Amino acid sequence: MDDQKAYAIVGHSMLRPDAREKVRGRAVYVADFRLPGMLFARVLWSDRPHARILHIDTRQALDLPGVYTVVTADDAPNTRYGVYLKDQLIFARGKVRHIGEPVAAVAAESEAIAEKAIEKIVVQYEELPAIFEPIEAMKPGAPLIHPDLESYEATYPKIVKGNVCLYTRLSMGDTEKGFEDADYVFEDTFKTQPMYQGYLEPRGAVASFDFNDKLTVWTSNQQILVCQAELATALEMPMTQVRVIGTAIGGAFGGKLKTSVEPIAALLAKKSGRPVRLVLTREEDFIASRARAPYILRLKTGVKANGKITAKSVELIADCGGYSDHVVGTMGLAVSFSQGPYKIPNAEAKGYCVYTNNPNYSCMRAYGVHQMCFATESQMDIIASKIGMDPAEFRRRNLAEDGDVLVTTQPLRSVTVDQTMAQVLKACHWEEKRKASKQRGVKNFYGIGMANTILNMGLLSSAAIVKINEDGTASVLTGAVDLGTGNHTALAQIAAEELGMKPNDVNIAAVDSDSSPYDLGQIASRTIFDCGNAIKLAANDARRQLFATADEVLGAEGRELRASEGNVYVRDEPDKKISIRDLMGYRLYFKGGPIIGRAGWLGKPGFDHLVGEGYPQPPSVTFVFGTHVAEVEVDVGTGQVKVERITAAHDVGRAINPLGVAAQIEGGVVQGMGYALYEEMQIHEGVVQNPDFLNYRMPTILDAPEIVPIILEIPEEYGPFGAKGIGEPTNMGPPPAIANAIYNAVGVRVKELPITPERLLHALDDKKTREA
Amino acid sequence: MKHAIELTINGKCYQIEVEPEERLLDVLRDRLGLIGAKEGCSTGDCGACTVLMNGQAVTSCMILAVAVDGADITTIEGLEKDGEIHPLQKAFIEEGAVQCGYCTPGMILSALALLKENPEPSDDEIRRALAGNLCRCTGYTRIIAAVKAGAERMKNHG
Ligand code: FES
Ligand code: FES
Repeated sequence: MDDQKAYAIVGHSMLRPDAREKVRGRAVYVADFRLPGMLFARVLWSDRPHARILHIDTRQALDLPGVYTVVTADDAPNTRYGVYLKDQLIFARGKVRHIGEPVAAVAAESEAIAEKAIEKIVVQYEELPAIFEPIEAMKPGAPLIHPDLESYEATYPKIVKGNVCLYTRLSMGDTEKGFEDADYVFEDTFKTQPMYQGYLEPRGAVASFDFNDKLTVWTSNQQILVCQAELATALEMPMTQVRVIGTAIGGAFGGKLKTSVEPIAALLAKKSGRPVRLVLTREEDFIASRARAPYILRLKTGVKANGKITAKSVELIADCGGYSDHVVGTMGLAVSFSQGPYKIPNAEAKGYCVYTNNPNYSCMRAYGVHQMCFATESQMDIIASKIGMDPAEFRRRNLAEDGDVLVTTQPLRSVTVDQTMAQVLKACHWEEKRKASKQRGVKNFYGIGMANTILNMGLLSSAAIVKINEDGTASVLTGAVDLGTGNHTALAQIAAEELGMKPNDVNIAAVDSDSSPYDLGQIASRTIFDCGNAIKLAANDARRQLFATADEVLGAEGRELRASEGNVYVRDEPDKKISIRDLMGYRLYFKGGPIIGRAGWLGKPGFDHLVGEGYPQPPSVTFVFGTHVAEVEVDVGTGQVKVERITAAHDVGRAINPLGVAAQIEGGVVQGMGYALYEEMQIHEGVVQNPDFLNYRMPTILDAPEIVPIILEIPEEYGPFGAKGIGEPTNMGPPPAIANAIYNAVGVRVKELPITPERLLHALDDKKTREA
Repeated sequence: MKHAIELTINGKCYQIEVEPEERLLDVLRDRLGLIGAKEGCSTGDCGACTVLMNGQAVTSCMILAVAVDGADITTIEGLEKDGEIHPLQKAFIEEGAVQCGYCTPGMILSALALLKENPEPSDDEIRRALAGNLCRCTGYTRIIAAVKAGAERMKNHG
């Protein structure tokens, strides 16, 4: 493995160049965007959870002065699209399946006029029986939400029945025997809530058609090239006629995937012949959200008296709401990682994704593994406490190692959870603190709890093009947008390191599907890993061309060349050197021609067949591990939990930009804490009860705990300069670590998120009653 | 019915005719192109639209334009002097307190209002002053550090 000291740029903290325009208020987000003649759009969302559309009357809306056009399903192709299962349409056709489903949209001179027009659209509905509980929806005879489900196209081996749009089952070893061998068997059911991504910039897009009927869309989407492809499918246009350009993004966290507002803006632009801007209000963004899907997780685990786990089986039920969206994918990962980072020889995992008439759920940071991690790591503590073992010791006895096999039958590699655990426990003085007295004052109790995390790393394809400019700088074309995470800074560091340039001499170009090469998007913590690999390879390709010319110009005769700070030199004779700028002059005007470095990347796992029934995911390239410890104070009088400190150790392989890694850990931890304690989209009969930031409570600066990030760097063979991505795992640890810390403090276990004061008080009451 | 108002924004005097339902945020963004004030919620709950009104941090989505007649407004665009960014802006960059940047202008202005009144705030005072500004990206740690570093820098800049 390369020695970190050998790197001039990678591994050194860098300030983000984009921060300059952001602190000045100059970064341009979608809502800041204006084109000449631009109209403003508003959407009519379904206010019924399940209803037949009998008639839509748009005449009065069209009659309003200032209104240009109204669109409904009649203006949209009748082509279903979707990422795993093609069940979606731009506008509801024939019936609505959830509140917040688009029914019609208006483009007008101003948002105020468009809003008035929306109120004038009359929709006649005939109510259909609606269903809101996934378990009810699974029962025979439940009203069918997608009667045509059987005929929908899917990217996975589809096993469907009634409202179940995905059934998957994985197994390994002999679970039955494993349970027989166990001294104790634990069965626990956990529940997680719908979580809103809470990006501060609501979703939006600007769409415009030119005279050749080519569509251009500006959007703060996190998958620009996927958005292009999905728009083309949904609008029945060739991809050459669809251009998608990324704007500044005000946060995404899994809420700005594929398409959402983009096709609506496009249809309005097409029909009105004018550019159209559609930016959701916060309330709409909630109601039409793609929140993290709620899960029911039933876990059964067998353990020997010596603490060895003999078998585990899980049954997971995810509520999709009206459409499958990414929920199917989250289930794939949830079942894959149902063992956690533990060696469990006999395992079984079943997953069901179920349509209901709840809002259209989807995914968020750490996909389905997030929900799974809460259940697994909570149950680990339940077991440890029952068998009288320290939770850290119990975990240690079961930690997975390289070569241990997941329930997908894929062998694990790069397992470093033993080290993240060791580091974090030492840093937070685990042993002493577990033993320390809990009581602080009359009603307050201190507690400390831990959780381990495991996640897949590396997902599908990325590509990059590196252009060497005549002034000796480089431009990198990639499909990767910067979500706000600072990934463009780290990607520039990767390119600069490989090219031997100063980081500020590398520009990561704005993403434009007309010129940016393919990229799956800024999802799955894949940007540094997958895009980073593509960029490193493309930079290497450019360097190879530069070196060929340098060899000739310097008369190096095949001796080893090096590049640094914009110069190429002979390694053993550093005085023999030439600037990249001069090399480019030579190339452009004398010999060789322009330099384009290019690379495509598809991370190849050491495992290429999928097992199990109905499984929707590709295998992982590699894996990423971490450990969190939470310290809390619980007030048993009010049920309030104050998180005092979270110590978070993550193995990132190599921290390309250590400052950026620490910032990811801090932000992820606080989001995870919100999920643990406060955040829940409250849904009653399909209606979001709290569609605003007052009632949907995200952590404020008053709640933010002390965060101690611990960055481990155990280089990953497949990562660029050894790096792994870290966006998501940072968000997984806090919910179970906090739940476990609460148990440690007051001896009650809350198995349903969020752990609100009411739930906690209730659990404390139950405990009192039991003890009495 | 339009109303004529007169106000100072970033040191410049403006006379504007506004609609009764128009908000200060709309005037800034849509009429004057001052896009630094962001709209995150429209209900006064996120702080992204924060500006200074007569030195106080206010959420401009909650203030009607007719109510700012005669006021002195500072937006994020008004912090630069002679092409130099404000020491507090510099501190946000250097402490790594900026991620997606959507909360940043509002955060900086809320912090500035605090520092004008209290040049050496404690952590708790910073937290209380910024309690109305949501940030979904940073976890707030670096924002607190940036406000402290900004306070230092402002002292040194006199
Ligand atoms: S937009 Fe004004 S407080 Fe959120
Ligand atoms: S930096 Fe994204 S909301 Fe604060």
